[in-house]
Amino acid sequence: MFARMSDIDRMFDAMGLLRGRFDNIFNEFDRTVRYGNDWSVVGNYPRTNLCDKGNYFELVAEVPGMSSEDFDVKIQGNYLEISGNRKVDAPDGYRTHRNERGSASFTRSLTLPSEVDSSKVSATLKDGLLVLTLPKSEAAKPRQISIS
Amino acid sequence: MDGKDLTQKDQASVESTRNLRQVTPLVDIYENDDEILLHAEMPGVKKDDIMVNIDNGNLTLSGVRTLTMEGAAEWEEFGNVEYQRAFSVPQTIEVNKVKAELKDGILALHLPKSEAAKPRQIEIKAV
Repeated sequence: MFARMSDIDRMFDAMGLLRGRFDNIFNEFDRTVRYGNDWSVVGNYPRTNLCDKGNYFELVAEVPGMSSEDFDVKIQGNYLEISGNRKVDAPDGYRTHRNERGSASFTRSLTLPSEVDSSKVSATLKDGLLVLTLPKSEAAKPRQISIS
Repeated sequence: MDGKDLTQKDQASVESTRNLRQVTPLVDIYENDDEILLHAEMPGVKKDDIMVNIDNGNLTLSGVRTLTMEGAAEWEEFGNVEYQRAFSVPQTIEVNKVKAELKDGILALHLPKSEAAKPRQIEIKAV
């Protein structure tokens, strides 16, 4: 019975997918980036993931082609603001055939689930991903409670 | 129904080996007299997970991004994907001299032109 239910689900999934594609058929025309996928965020700021790792939060942002000088990160309590400026210039002596990656500046502010210790925050940049390690402030850390 | 399934199980079809979402990377294409330069945006892809293939005038780029997600996710706006894109390249590209570099999530692909395809200045002699 359960096997059969999943088959029905799958059939409807496929139909839903088809309908979604038809809905977007005109928007997607001549567009290289697919419209409306699961992870797309409206606006021109980088996508982020936030992970709670117990003692600290880890925030990962997609920032291809940016170097560490292009960023400005501000933290106050549980408020985090990332701003940046990306420049995409044609290399010297080259003519441009196609330009899909644009220059842009962005500011994104995020509210973290709890306060972080702003003096211990560290940031690294690797393979086009910005990784912020945000240690939770003492009050927000998980605590082991011993039962007497 | 005597045990017949509503939908046919596709056991006969080939097993799908990739279940990653396929994404088209954004590219910039530049050209000068010596080469064509391609920049493709692949944030989070490591050097070893990129494949560049040139075969019979077709250039295929493929890069797999595997993120290590541990702990409780508060929100997740991007995940593991496979970047994939194909181009046709002119036959005048010297396939064995193609160079690729990866920096800050940008793949730079240098496609040098063969000598015959380079523009040549023709000198006019006075007779």
